[in-house]
Amino acid sequence: MIAFAARRLGWALATAFIASLVAFVLFWSIPNVDPSYWLGGAEKGTNETRAIATEKYGLDDPLPVQYVRLMKSILNGDVECFYNCGNMRSAFLDALPVTLSLVAGATLIAIAAGLGLALLCVRYQGRWQDRVITTVAAAAYSLPSLVLAALLWAFVAYRSDLFPNEGYVPLTADPLGWAQHLVLPWIAAALPFAGAYMHVVRASLLQTAGEDWVRTARAKGLSEKRVIRRHVLRNALIPPVNIWGLDFSHAIGGYALYVEVIFGLPGVGLMTSETFGSLDLPPIVALAIYLAIVVVLASAIVDIITAWLDPRLRRPSLRT
Amino acid sequence: MAFLAAPLYADVVAGTGPSDNHVTDQVTIAGEPEYVVSLDGVPIGPTWRSEFLIGADENGRDLMVRVLYGGRTSLLIGAAALALTLLLGVPIALAAGYFGGRTDSLISRLLDVIWSFPALLVGFLLASAVNLSGADIGPVTIEPGSKLIPIVVIGLVYVPYLARPLRGEVRALRERPFVEAARAAGFGPVAVMRSELLPHLLTTTLVLAPLLFANAVVLESALSFLGAGVPAPEPSFGVLIEDGIDNTIFSPHLLLAPCVALVLVVLSLSGLAEGLRRALDPRGPVNVEVVHGQ
Repeated sequence: MIAFAARRLGWALATAFIASLVAFVLFWSIPNVDPSYWLGGAEKGTNETRAIATEKYGLDDPLPVQYVRLMKSILNGDVECFYNCGNMRSAFLDALPVTLSLVAGATLIAIAAGLGLALLCVRYQGRWQDRVITTVAAAAYSLPSLVLAALLWAFVAYRSDLFPNEGYVPLTADPLGWAQHLVLPWIAAALPFAGAYMHVVRASLLQTAGEDWVRTARAKGLSEKRVIRRHVLRNALIPPVNIWGLDFSHAIGGYALYVEVIFGLPGVGLMTSETFGSLDLPPIVALAIYLAIVVVLASAIVDIITAWLDPRLRRPSLRT
Repeated sequence: MAFLAAPLYADVVAGTGPSDNHVTDQVTIAGEPEYVVSLDGVPIGPTWRSEFLIGADENGRDLMVRVLYGGRTSLLIGAAALALTLLLGVPIALAAGYFGGRTDSLISRLLDVIWSFPALLVGFLLASAVNLSGADIGPVTIEPGSKLIPIVVIGLVYVPYLARPLRGEVRALRERPFVEAARAAGFGPVAVMRSELLPHLLTTTLVLAPLLFANAVVLESALSFLGAGVPAPEPSFGVLIEDGIDNTIFSPHLLLAPCVALVLVVLSLSGLAEGLRRALDPRGPVNVEVVHGQ
């Protein structure tokens, strides 16, 4: 187990390193950026400002030297901006809990709803309840979160006093206010996933229920409840758990971006969209790398947890 | 399943351009003339007649026309991106699955790296980078703000979502007797791939393609919404949704129309995928991995 965790974290580091290289090449060393751009935003400057910018950011140094210097400043948080941007790292760490609240809440809601509905489907298998739930779930996962978030914000949050239009309250300060700010974003983000999870869990449950050892358990005279809980559910949840893990780590750089923009939640998504709108290059690189690190770490942690739940996943090859 | 997207290509029927202003025009409703944009700046709502069928926006542009043109842009980008994904993903999967060994582990690791990041984040970063400075890739020069940017970005991002399942299939097929027979008969690797392996990948590819198409359209909307896709004056679903959110106080129709259109497109595409799956591979599982590539 420890060996697996170490290997997985090593792979995560390698991925983060590759991502940082790509971000560096994309945003820093693409040749046709005018250096004066680095000082004055979008305006093209004189030769003088060009020279100042080249010196300030060390653009004449060899690329590896520039890379190391940039990465150091990014990890310390003291990236030099064109405008005033304060400490990027602490700003990012302040925004992270908002995003994690959104993503964790939405993932839990989607899992609970998907699991509950799938169990209902299996209980009423082939009857009208099953068909209704399956159809509704299929419709739910065709609804893009972007559309749901936009509609919920415009027609529920904006038009009623129940939910705030924007902002965020930390969980530790006011749990009720925290939930009030997040309910609608949670629904927007969770609904499509709930539909998809319902289908995965249902298929997995039905497949497991047909296994020989489930028949054996029934033949032993175990109660139906016990058969479902101890024998079917435990094994049927293995494939969905992997998908849940992947989705969780993807959500941070996925729907979090636009759901936060729409609901005005001050998380990393809103921060990303504001920073990229400012055309301020150094913080853009910093933010890209922070996001990459968070996504990579989240997926490593999730993989380690799933491997802990299911020892069969601790194979030497990380992914087939 | 009716392919609801089809009428979007027939937008030649529109009587006015998507960016034409009619701010000062009047339309006659129930015998009374009414301004398209009222004097205090509120655009007209749905009229349910040929001009301004579902209303106008704050610049007096016909919303139905904008939704149709926006749909065309979004679908065009989605289709082009899908073509790029297929062009790159299928050969990559064939090479990785057929040669195995080092080629396979190199390609698979590379795909894993892209795969481990969310599609929207990768797309957003790539598109922003190119939008900042343009790109010179060999003979191809991409100007900032070009429509090629979302196409290339979305096409690249979804390569792993196609190549990973296909590669697994190729690996399974490689051990089958008919492939061995072809090799024994002296076919080279390329000939084996083309004549023996490729036809077997058709089913999976056909089922995945509409799902990837739907995902590409949704990703394009999200990118345009965040300002990293289609640049603003030109309509696309994402641009229209953003417009709608900005003007939701007085004109809810501006938000509803593109949302409904986007959902209809996605629904018809996933319906097409489901139909193809039932026809071609009735026992196959629903491919949820692809559904989640947003």
